[in-house]
Amino acid sequence: MPAVRTRPRVGVVKLTSCDGCQLTLLDLEDELLAIAERFDIVDFPEATSVRSDGPYDVLFVEGSISAPEHVERLRELRARTTKLVAIGACATAGGIQALRNWANVADWSSSVYPEPGLLSVLDRVTPVSDHVTVDAELRGCPISAQQLREFLGAALTGRRPQFPDEAVCLECKRRGLACVLVAGDQPCLGPITRTGCGAICPAMGRGCYGCFGPRETPNVPALLERFHEAGLEPDEAARKLAGFNAWAEPLRPFIPATGGERPAEGHDARN
Amino acid sequence: MVTTTRPAFLPRAALDQLIALLNEDGRTVIGPRIVDGAIAYDEIRSAADLPVGWREEQAPGRYTLIPPAEEPDRVFDFTVGPGSWKGYTFPARVPIGRARTVDEQPLFEDVSPDVRPLAYLGVRGCELAALGIQDRVLRDGPVSDPDYVARRAAALVIAVECTVAAATCFCTSMGTGPEVDEQHADLVLTEIEDGFLVRVGSDAGRELAERLGVGDALEAQTASARAAVAAVRETIGDPVNTDGLRGRLLARLDDPRWAEVAERCLACANCTLVCPTCFCTSVTQRSDLDTLDTIAERSWDSCFSGDFAKVAGGNFRSRRQDRYRQWLTHKFATWLDQFGSFGCVGCGRCITWCPVGIDIREELLAIARPPARRPLPMAAAASPGRYVTASVAARASETADTMTLRIVGVDPAIANGRPGQFVMVTRPGLPAVPISISRYHPDEGAIELSIRAAGPATETLTKLTPGAMVGLRGPLGRGWPLEVAEGRDLIAVAGGIGLSPLRPSIDAVLTDPARYGDLRIYHGARTPADRPHVEDQVAWAASGVELGVIVDRADDTWRGPVGVVTNLFDSARWDGREAVAFVCGPERMMQATVATLLDRGLRSERIFVSLERHMECGIGLCGHCQLGKYFVCRDGPVFSCAELGDMFLVEGL
Repeated sequence: MPAVRTRPRVGVVKLTSCDGCQLTLLDLEDELLAIAERFDIVDFPEATSVRSDGPYDVLFVEGSISAPEHVERLRELRARTTKLVAIGACATAGGIQALRNWANVADWSSSVYPEPGLLSVLDRVTPVSDHVTVDAELRGCPISAQQLREFLGAALTGRRPQFPDEAVCLECKRRGLACVLVAGDQPCLGPITRTGCGAICPAMGRGCYGCFGPRETPNVPALLERFHEAGLEPDEAARKLAGFNAWAEPLRPFIPATGGERPAEGHDARN
Repeated sequence: MVTTTRPAFLPRAALDQLIALLNEDGRTVIGPRIVDGAIAYDEIRSAADLPVGWREEQAPGRYTLIPPAEEPDRVFDFTVGPGSWKGYTFPARVPIGRARTVDEQPLFEDVSPDVRPLAYLGVRGCELAALGIQDRVLRDGPVSDPDYVARRAAALVIAVECTVAAATCFCTSMGTGPEVDEQHADLVLTEIEDGFLVRVGSDAGRELAERLGVGDALEAQTASARAAVAAVRETIGDPVNTDGLRGRLLARLDDPRWAEVAERCLACANCTLVCPTCFCTSVTQRSDLDTLDTIAERSWDSCFSGDFAKVAGGNFRSRRQDRYRQWLTHKFATWLDQFGSFGCVGCGRCITWCPVGIDIREELLAIARPPARRPLPMAAAASPGRYVTASVAARASETADTMTLRIVGVDPAIANGRPGQFVMVTRPGLPAVPISISRYHPDEGAIELSIRAAGPATETLTKLTPGAMVGLRGPLGRGWPLEVAEGRDLIAVAGGIGLSPLRPSIDAVLTDPARYGDLRIYHGARTPADRPHVEDQVAWAASGVELGVIVDRADDTWRGPVGVVTNLFDSARWDGREAVAFVCGPERMMQATVATLLDRGLRSERIFVSLERHMECGIGLCGHCQLGKYFVCRDGPVFSCAELGDMFLVEGL
């Protein structure tokens, strides 16, 4: 390691999330020490009680925006950050909690909490990029340790991190796996989902459920039609999309309402 | 030297011995094996690892394994699975270079291929052809890939002829199977009743056969093997018409079908990754945090993935339809230009493993529509000396020097030829002359030839009277591509007697007008008396076709326009962008016409000209008619301007 180098100041913060993505940083066990030597980790609630108010060279933001105070906090963080990185499905697409965007919040909160009046939540759960400029995204639920490692390495080297925007199918075929949709009629979101996981689910003989969110030019209607041919009712097929990335723009218009109003936004049907 | 030519017989039980011998030679045997619900290529330690008795069912987007019945014995009663030998010759990921920093200096190093000796057991005809294509692309080209070369050299190939076919197979159309030529493998097995017919293709194969102690096969065994493979050929049929496919496909770059197929296409890249010949890759750098040690890793990529054609600022193929078109036109058109063969071997993997079941055969049929009638075999044209007789039934004078002869008793192959084709015509003692067929009467076994007395031999022919016999050889050459004109407006431009070769294409359009858009005919002649087929012109005009006629020099009778043929349409109202043009006449006239058509918005791949050159053999053997890379007699006489490129304009070629 070069002896004298200003270590980039790195922070990790969370909004509405489960902390699983933060923990992925700790999963880089073999390289934790090396990372700590090269980056000055000034905020990381899962790892240290040390707190800082920035400024940050790199700030990893985990979680979605679901409460009014999140919006202001995010803007303040953005103002103190050079590179803001949204990590995980919550921060990049709204996460599993965005499923409540299809329902009436008041109905839900009164059935779950004894005193719902104490709650203050936004009508809709939204990703970080709806509120502030995002410089980079790490997809996934949770994010991939390998991609996080690639991001850190690329930042140190001075190049774009290699996160191919391609279908899970490419990873699946590189691993020599037989397509579970073709050979097993299993609904698999691989064709419309971005790689990053290494095709874990098809390797276990089951369909992808889209943790890494939609890839570019996803042909959602054609895949849903295929699920239908495989025996799923149209609503059932569409519900396969209603997971961690349900609120991602390319998927949103296809997800059936479970109560309340179906979102009105159209989708890009460009071929 | 390979000397064994007689097929031998290997009992089924001796497969284990074959595997053991290969292992003894230090080779790991790779062959078909059931992995996760499909037949993959994986390590085979004994014959028990092979899918004995298993069968499969394949259809677009569907793959099902069928378990063995009781007492299974057949070892190879399936075709190909999702994996191909590409996984071994050109693995999905290989390190190709290393960069280290030593004493603060970068050090770039090669990575030697990590190769072990393998034996591929069960390589099918289509797959053998795929290896041949990979050899041309990755080994024999101007540049070769060292990793591929090392892996290929370390592999012994034991081919297996298919005795069953899947519904997705089309090797017969691509000329790659099901038969296997032993020249391309070390050993070839064909499964029969109790074992395998064995053919030897190399010294290594012969040595193996000898160590196995195989004896000569009985004639009945050889016949049984041949019959089984022939039955497969019969089952598959000929689903893809590859005749002129390259040109037909490239002429359809803006076909609306690309957008239609893109509505179904997921752009998931499965087709390209299961394809045994697709070779596109990307290189990824994998380094430690400080980039002191970096491995450059090459991995399979695909023209369907989002980053593939991306540059800073945009993506050259942003739409799914762009990517599908890139793939299909590479496989069936531009691959020929780059590597001298199709990039497809007809294995059908892309059909089966497309999650939404897009069938490449159907797409080819829809986009590159084949000719309405397939050309008959050129029986009469096979040899430059073989003529069949026919007789003159009638004669009709067209102009002062041009005579149309009606020829009857014509060979059916000739009477069923295509518009724009020609025949070589001779009489005892006369040199053979190429004459375009100016009309077909297939039901009557007759054709018409319009002959201009341009020299002594043609003058003799124009003087023939009913009853005279002639010798004909043909039909020859490539005619007008009417399939390209389907659904589009057709503009036929003729100069003088050039109307004669065009006439059969006009006949074809008028016989089946629903297949085409509007027909427009423009004819230029020197004088009113130099117009052939005047009666036809009257009939065409009467049928509603737009007909324009112009002459260089008028006479007292002429009330029409005077000038050159392009005057007829250089300011016409029609939109040429979607139109197709057929042009025939003197070369200067065609050049001027093509220039005007290009100005009118026609695309060069949709402008076709019929060239005249010195032709003697008519089948590309004598060399007279060469134009650049083409033999005009065989590859033409009809060419698109896109095919000819600058050659059409350069003098003296």
